[in-house]
Amino acid sequence: MQFQKDVEIRAPREKVWNFIWDVDRFISCLPGCKDAKTIEEGKRYSATMVEKVGPFKVEFPTTIEVLEKEELTRIKAQASGADNKIGSRMKVELDVNLKGEGETTFLSFVAGVEIVGKLAALGHGIIKRKADQVLDEFAQAVKQRLEGDS
Amino acid sequence: MLKRFRLEEPESVKEACELLGRFGENAKVYAGGTELLLAMKEGLAHYERLVNIKKLGLNQIKRDNGTIRIGALCTHRQLETSPELQRVLSALVKLERNVANVRVRQAGTLGGNLCFAEPHADPGTLLIALGAKFLADTGTSKREIAAEDFFVDAYETRLAADELLTEIQVPAPAAHCGVAYLKFGYLERPSVGVAVALTARDAKKSVGDIKIAVGCAGPAPKRMAEAEALLRGKSIDEATRGLPKAGEVAGRAAQAISDLHGSQEYKEHIVGVLLKRAFQSALSQC
Repeated sequence: MQFQKDVEIRAPREKVWNFIWDVDRFISCLPGCKDAKTIEEGKRYSATMVEKVGPFKVEFPTTIEVLEKEELTRIKAQASGADNKIGSRMKVELDVNLKGEGETTFLSFVAGVEIVGKLAALGHGIIKRKADQVLDEFAQAVKQRLEGDS
Repeated sequence: MLKRFRLEEPESVKEACELLGRFGENAKVYAGGTELLLAMKEGLAHYERLVNIKKLGLNQIKRDNGTIRIGALCTHRQLETSPELQRVLSALVKLERNVANVRVRQAGTLGGNLCFAEPHADPGTLLIALGAKFLADTGTSKREIAAEDFFVDAYETRLAADELLTEIQVPAPAAHCGVAYLKFGYLERPSVGVAVALTARDAKKSVGDIKIAVGCAGPAPKRMAEAEALLRGKSIDEATRGLPKAGEVAGRAAQAISDLHGSQEYKEHIVGVLLKRAFQSALSQC
């Protein structure tokens, strides 16, 4: 499942870039994400993703690895986790791009989400819609947090 | 395999609602169990307590003036074989005959089907077009929820944690009223379902009121008010010419989701095709 979210933020690129690396604050924009921890500064992080679709609840302890980093321009990361209770795994490849000059930054997330296991029984469409909602809320939360700060 | 759980056996609606309120997310209503137990066996959901409501009655079909009252615990099989329902609401009987398979229909209940709110279910769509109301009961107070407001999202309804759906109230279709539900899908799983309920007037020369609902394509069944407005009050010729546009509008509003059973565009197209056929079928009954 591929997703792309573009968000225009009224804040300079440096500020957006610094916000992304303030992992606690950045992660708190992701709905259902909690307990963010830094394992190795700038490289590895861990968090727990809790999501709910109706009566179905899933909890993925997740490891986030930064694969590539281009100062003020791009971050490529990979997140993966497993919920052993319901026998499901999640893998997300995330490409974050920053563009723009002056007081405006265009932030773009491209996410490749893969979910396998019993959770898939809910149906590809339902999971896709949920993931899309989560990323939408995430993009909006990042924008609000950054613009609210200025 | 099913994990251990405690089976509660309340003897009244009030007692059942108290249990549901007290244990919140750790308890779930158990009626036919055709969907709940599958999800639990798969390990997708687990509850410490199941509140068995099968002994509470709630399985009568009654005609009360202009309203057909269906107990929430009526099984699909009971509905498909009811002579009373066949007389007054044959579209629902026809729909019920095609729900899943006979084993599911024998155990599964209408109330369970509505409350589980699995997106690929038929009854909710038709009940929206019929203008049905659902009675939510806490044992101490009752409220009516219009079918079109009941479904919030996939697997989510407006029922509160301590409420039980006890009755489905359907206004008996008036004279010169036609009702049709058509679905398209692979084997037992509907991918798109369209329901139309309309009245004809002026000696069948124009459309009176019309209700359209679409289900299965998106996360929850929905009433299609914009598509209805394109057909309501129009002459039959005008309405027939307006069907492609109404189908297009309903297709877009259905929030169709692409999956293995078809792309979003494909499902939107099917909504249009089924809407046209359901309109013609409903009109022919007037």
